[in-house]
Amino acid sequence: MRRALVFLLVLIAACGSDVSQSSGALPPIDGAGIRALIAESDQPLVINIWASWCGPCRSEAPLLNAAHEEFGRQVRFVGIDTQDSQADAAAFINEFGLGGLEHFFDQAGSVRAELGGFGVPVTYFVDATGNVTVHAGIIDERALVLGIDEITGG
Amino acid sequence: MEFTLLFAALSGVATAWLAVKLLDRSERQLIPDHTFELVLNAAVIGVVVGRLWAMIAAGTNPISHPGDFIVIRGGVDPLGASLGALGALIWTTRREGLTALDAIAPVALWGLAGWHAGCVITGSCLGAASSLPWALTEAGSDIGRHPVEVYAALLLAAGALMLVRLPVLRPGVAAALALLVAGAARLITEPLRLSLGGGRTGLYVIGVVVAGVAAVALARRDAARAIQNGSPPERQ
Repeated sequence: MRRALVFLLVLIAACGSDVSQSSGALPPIDGAGIRALIAESDQPLVINIWASWCGPCRSEAPLLNAAHEEFGRQVRFVGIDTQDSQADAAAFINEFGLGGLEHFFDQAGSVRAELGGFGVPVTYFVDATGNVTVHAGIIDERALVLGIDEITGG
Repeated sequence: MEFTLLFAALSGVATAWLAVKLLDRSERQLIPDHTFELVLNAAVIGVVVGRLWAMIAAGTNPISHPGDFIVIRGGVDPLGASLGALGALIWTTRREGLTALDAIAPVALWGLAGWHAGCVITGSCLGAASSLPWALTEAGSDIGRHPVEVYAALLLAAGALMLVRLPVLRPGVAAALALLVAGAARLITEPLRLSLGGGRTGLYVIGVVVAGVAAVALARRDAARAIQNGSPPERQ
């Protein structure tokens, strides 16, 4: 019986996630900070406003990860965690393996106030000239790839 | 709330309903209410299975996050939806046999065509960049794009029309041809779609081949039996 329990525990542990834990707090950002980031970027940007408590963000997180893997060399992917806690943000990043994206922390929601849009999530597509297109609400695969295709010139 | 999928679904249901009404006036053996009910059941089950499939594939546990299910724009997996809808159709017509599936086949194709055409309402028709004269542009953009969902809708509608105009075939052949048309419409348009990871071309190739082999096998089955029995094959 004890052996069976030990085997079961080892099995459960083996089935657990091996995603490495994110370390450190996310750096803060505000409206002026996002404008500076856009101005200094030499690549088109996809900026995603997310929060760990946001259900639709859970749905689109794997999409953003897949898009980053496919287009990460042409486009800079930036995540902005808003109205959240640093601990919950770190747990969300670990859960969905979003460590490859750049993330910032915007407790007050000032990035959204600066770039436009409402609610969470919001995705911004910024082309090479700094023009910003807003996609409010959850984004699907087609809209995400379309937005990326538009900012990279088709 | 996102209405994209809802509008596409309503467009599909409305087109299927219209097809039932029109086909009812034709010579086909069709029980309108029953046919529409079967197609509607299959569509609902397909969407549910497709959504659960997409959630699980994206790493979201539907039991621990049941509320995420209604975030429908988060995705409905087409493979899961197709398998769910087909499974539902086969289950609900199990006592009626292949002839019931044959009667449903053109209606299902019309419904799928309507689903794709629903992109006109939801503004989600566009695919890869194109310089063709009929290319459309996204609002605020100057990049022309293929209206790929309209292409798919036209191919499916043409397939449905072909099935309606064909003479009555041996049992199961019309259903297999409908699967072939549905797979081919996706296969042809897949390179023009905007998707991650190169889309699902391989799966559509498999679907088309399986449906084609099934159509040929079903068409030849009765002929082979008739030759064995020494009498000409009976047509349905």
